[in-house]
Amino acid sequence: MRYSFRLTAIWEAFRVATASLRANKLRTALTLIGIVVGVTAVIAVVTIIKGLDQTVAQTFSSQGSTVFSISKNPQIIKSREEFIKANRRKDVTHEDAEAIARLCPACWRVGIAANAVETVKYADQKAENVRIRGVDPTTMFDIDGVTIDVGRIWSDTEGASGRDICVIGADMLKNLFSDAPSDRAVGQEIRIDGRPYLVLGVLEPLGSIFGFSRDNVVYIPYSTYQKAYGGRRSLVVFIQVPDAGQLEIAEDQVRTIMRNRRGHATDEDEGFALETQDVFLNLYGSATSNIYLVTIGVAAVSLLVGGIVVMNIMLVSVTERTKEIGIRKAVGARRKDILTQFLIEAVGVTAIGGAIGVGTGFGLAYVISALIGFPLLISVTSAVLGVACSSIVGIASGMWPAWRAAKLDPIEALRAE
Amino acid sequence: MSDATLTLTPPEHAENEIKPRLEIDGHDPSMLISMRNIWKTYQMGTESVHALHGVSFDIPRGEYIAIIGPSGSGKSTLMNLIGCLDTPTQGEYWLNGKNVSEMDDDELARIRNQEVGFVFQTFNLLARATALHNVELPLIYGGVGASQRHEMAKKALNAVDLADRITHKPNELSGGQRQRVAIARALVNHPSILLADEPTGALDSHTSMEIMDLFERLHSEGNTIIVVTHEHDIADRAHRVISIRDGQIEKDERIK
Ligand SMILES: Nc1ncnc2c1ncn2[C@@H]1O[C@H](COP(=O)(O)OP(=O)(O)OP(=O)(O)O)[C@@H](O)[C@H]1O
Ligand SMILES: [Mg+2]
Repeated sequence: MRYSFRLTAIWEAFRVATASLRANKLRTALTLIGIVVGVTAVIAVVTIIKGLDQTVAQTFSSQGSTVFSISKNPQIIKSREEFIKANRRKDVTHEDAEAIARLCPACWRVGIAANAVETVKYADQKAENVRIRGVDPTTMFDIDGVTIDVGRIWSDTEGASGRDICVIGADMLKNLFSDAPSDRAVGQEIRIDGRPYLVLGVLEPLGSIFGFSRDNVVYIPYSTYQKAYGGRRSLVVFIQVPDAGQLEIAEDQVRTIMRNRRGHATDEDEGFALETQDVFLNLYGSATSNIYLVTIGVAAVSLLVGGIVVMNIMLVSVTERTKEIGIRKAVGARRKDILTQFLIEAVGVTAIGGAIGVGTGFGLAYVISALIGFPLLISVTSAVLGVACSSIVGIASGMWPAWRAAKLDPIEALRAE
Repeated sequence: MSDATLTLTPPEHAENEIKPRLEIDGHDPSMLISMRNIWKTYQMGTESVHALHGVSFDIPRGEYIAIIGPSGSGKSTLMNLIGCLDTPTQGEYWLNGKNVSEMDDDELARIRNQEVGFVFQTFNLLARATALHNVELPLIYGGVGASQRHEMAKKALNAVDLADRITHKPNELSGGQRQRVAIARALVNHPSILLADEPTGALDSHTSMEIMDLFERLHSEGNTIIVVTHEHDIADRAHRVISIRDGQIEKDERIK
């Protein structure tokens, strides 16, 4: 019979719920806050980390997972013990690199690099905190994944000669040559720590990662670097294999070569650090998973608080509208009808909160991505998830108040004022 | 079930006296309403308040009945039971051939929706809704589609002479108009019975008479009506008067 047809009652519930939310704007707004904060946190963090993930993936794939390094000091030192251990080691030298190149059949390219940070000048222009990278041989450019834009790289004979020549990163154009076309810089003389260097070429820009430019660099031959900064500094040997599948074999071979050269390695330390990009990726991964955990905590707490607020406000709403419930029951509303009415109201308010949270979350992520410089990846899944989560909070916290409303006795409810 | 106590006082005008047909075991299927030995007891702490004790009567279709009695005698309690807003503590209530006293919450809601039209002393309209929406409310919970619903609600409002007030909210209507909206709401679903608990209690005497004229007209159109009142000139308009005192029927007589 027609009484069992309830779509009309559900529509009425929807109508009443929206009217009630609109009539109590301030209360609705207060109810929203907890939910908005929770969803904003989740959406912002998920979006930001997704953007960072993409940046990291792109950055490391430019060098590829085919490169590993041998050095005295690991690039990431995780403890004081490690630091002390590393400082006791012998320096990694040019000879080590030569031995590896000679004795490791799986190694494709072998190069050395040492870094210094200096101020670079051209005419009255000045660039600070520039990475001066002494490299040998020129295959180090390929290992680093950089390519020449204008001009040329030095030849290997030039490189061995110790002449004061250089190839500059894209930032040098901007900072020293006021963004002039690249060919304007070629043939000019720049000064690093007072020494004049002839610019042979300009590199293609790589962009920045986490706000740090990767183009703020000047490459010089290692022989020149040695003259300018002394040969006593420990250097880093970079090894590249033709494809990632050979990485392990090459690592084993290099390890054996290095152990033989070190003679007696102690039990606790093999005397050198062998690192792949996995070190960075692992560190990055553990950092982001910690951030995720904290965010989930923040979101859970604010959704919980938001849920409690919703429950309280729904209880107030039920009390306020006891008479209305009585009237509805008197003319034939069943428990289900009243239950749905208040559930729709609770879910409505939390879903709106969720939607606002999704918006502000993306907004926040946009601002941060613009500041730090990584792509903004808007994910529909996380938006849907945000609204769904807050709706579930709505159902959970609205259930009890709605049930209390539904089982009100019609006569007692009608007596209420 | 059959041994309901007969608590009626001996009649003075025996020819008008209506006796409940207690000789019939259970209910009388020819009747619209059959109440058999109805008790309603409220537990107030350790004390039991018997709002009704052992009430029995029959009401055939098409009657116009007034229930009178002093304050606190149990009139509203009885009306709420008849209107299925409440259930008896003990006894049997048959409405339109169905044993209402054994129904659960949702079944009672269905009866209230389909079989009963209730008019309250304080109107009990939804304050934020228009007259039309208030009248539509029973149809909404009855699952009637929008266009048919508007049609029926407008017709009901027309029947109480409020066709020109359908978009007004209760606070934009006079007391008499509000009560007429409530009556339209009670009638919109074509219930078996129209119940009114002191429908004129909140109205001035002129408006009261208008409302009572309306009831008279509705009765003449075939509706079964029960009105609770303690005003004698209102009770005099009914065709049968049931007097209640201390939760029992004191007198049950036909006056027209
Ligand atoms: N919920 C309740 N709890 C306890 N006692 C109640 C309750 N409802 C009614 N009563 C008692 O039942 C008796 C009958 O009450 P009822 O409301 O039916 O009287 P009434 O005849 O309608 O009176 P009035 O003319 O004043 O409206 C009264 O003594 C009242 O105190
Ligand atoms: Mg009363």
